[in-house]
Amino acid sequence: MMNVKRVISAIERDYILNNLKKDKRIDGRDLWEYRDFHINVDVVKSAEGSADVTLGDTRIISGLKYEVGEPFPDTPDEGVCTMMAELLPLASPLFEGGPPNEQSIELARVIDRGIRHADCIQTKKLCIRENKAVYILFLDMFVMNYGGNMIDCGGVSCLATLISAHVPEGVFNDENELIWTGKYLNGKHIVNELPFVITFGKIDDIIFMDPNLTEELLSDGSISISVTENKITSIQKSGSATFSIDEIKMLCEKSIEIGKKLRKELDLWQYLIQKA
Amino acid sequence: MPLIIKDEYPKKLFREDGKRLDGRDKHELRPIKMEVGVIKNADGSAYLEWGNNKIFAAVYGPRDVHPHHLAKSDRGILRIFYRMATYSVFERKRPAPGRREKEISMVISDCLEPVLFLELYPGTSFEVFIEVIDADGGTRCAGTTVAALALADAGIPMRSLVTSVALGKIDGEIVVDLSGIEDKAGQADLPCAITWFNDQLSLLQFDGDMTLEEMNKCLDLAPDILKRIYEMQLNALKEKYLKIREEVNKSEEIATEGGEQ
Repeated sequence: MMNVKRVISAIERDYILNNLKKDKRIDGRDLWEYRDFHINVDVVKSAEGSADVTLGDTRIISGLKYEVGEPFPDTPDEGVCTMMAELLPLASPLFEGGPPNEQSIELARVIDRGIRHADCIQTKKLCIRENKAVYILFLDMFVMNYGGNMIDCGGVSCLATLISAHVPEGVFNDENELIWTGKYLNGKHIVNELPFVITFGKIDDIIFMDPNLTEELLSDGSISISVTENKITSIQKSGSATFSIDEIKMLCEKSIEIGKKLRKELDLWQYLIQKA
Repeated sequence: MPLIIKDEYPKKLFREDGKRLDGRDKHELRPIKMEVGVIKNADGSAYLEWGNNKIFAAVYGPRDVHPHHLAKSDRGILRIFYRMATYSVFERKRPAPGRREKEISMVISDCLEPVLFLELYPGTSFEVFIEVIDADGGTRCAGTTVAALALADAGIPMRSLVTSVALGKIDGEIVVDLSGIEDKAGQADLPCAITWFNDQLSLLQFDGDMTLEEMNKCLDLAPDILKRIYEMQLNALKEKYLKIREEVNKSEEIATEGGEQ
């Protein structure tokens, strides 16, 4: 069992902090380095898309289900995508069962906002008939092991799920009945832009990215920035840490730079699944 | 408007060559893959792929009971939480645990309790979380099997392992290990589990219709089938330690090589 505890000893804290001051991390990374991502897609046969993503010790399995329903009155020609995250008690002794708590809602919301404001999902292509029938996508994330920084891991897992998706294509026939063409809408139909969310932790005056579990538990707070190719789409500061204006400017710049690197390295479009 | 593609069942569950729809013989199991120690944070964990079923189990304990009033002063308690992921089934499952999940949790808990020495752990609880990521029939049996494996991986004293499988009747024939379609379109489903320390059944449910002879045939067939899965469980547990031994041997080799230079 990995040693997971809510309270971290003063000695461990000092050790981590002193090393951070020298630009060193306990797992050997430098301050602006991600742990390794491992991505597997289409792991769940029952789902219309799925991804199993690990970032260091954090592991999230997400899946996509769909329904056909009525659009919202203010967007009659747009499909809907809702996100949910569940911190399974299986993933960590720190998690408890029960209805979604603040932490899991924040996880889903931060990723959702990043994706929503980046124009990531082509909602207009998810419309079958205006005012009548649109696709409603349910993107659900399940945390299988908690090793810090679930937001970044979840963000990549959502994108990989959407890209590997294969949703049956429906059309209305002449009798106004919904029929299935036997074809599938794939990632190219659903996804437009890829927003990456990048999280930075802050302990005292030191800022670093992708906190691992111990660093996350020690952190005063964190800031998550979602970026597209060259734009910022959402920011969430959480925890009790405070950030100066200069720090925020620096982090925004850093996020775009890291986002570009990540986009290249992960090359998520390779997970596109072509189904007849 | 709910989901529209219909969940259609085939009329016949046997192909013309006498095999089942997925190409299996009547007494053939689906491919099974097991692994232990897959969730780092847990005290013990296991992963099982059984046909299209994909299930994780994690054990935490002995630990404090929460809520406290559930604690028993003379013995520990075993709590099983069987859950299905929303995307694990054809029609999206609602996120909150339903009646079915609660019942299965209870059945599995009753099934596993006899093998544990709970009287040695007063005031504490063992919590087993079973998470079904992908479901295709027989998840309660697979869940029981993987939960027993996770308990063993956690090093919790056990009288023996527990193994579970479903038998059933499709198109009038007795078969083992029903798949999702066979479960829904078949005539009978008999999940059972065996506790190996006394060779007795500790989980038994039945739905459908069977004659007395058919029931006897099923029950006679069960031990052999269960034995096959039991061997796989033992191998999965051994595999972890073989890997550790390999690593130790390797590092020792490196150490001695370094010494010679």
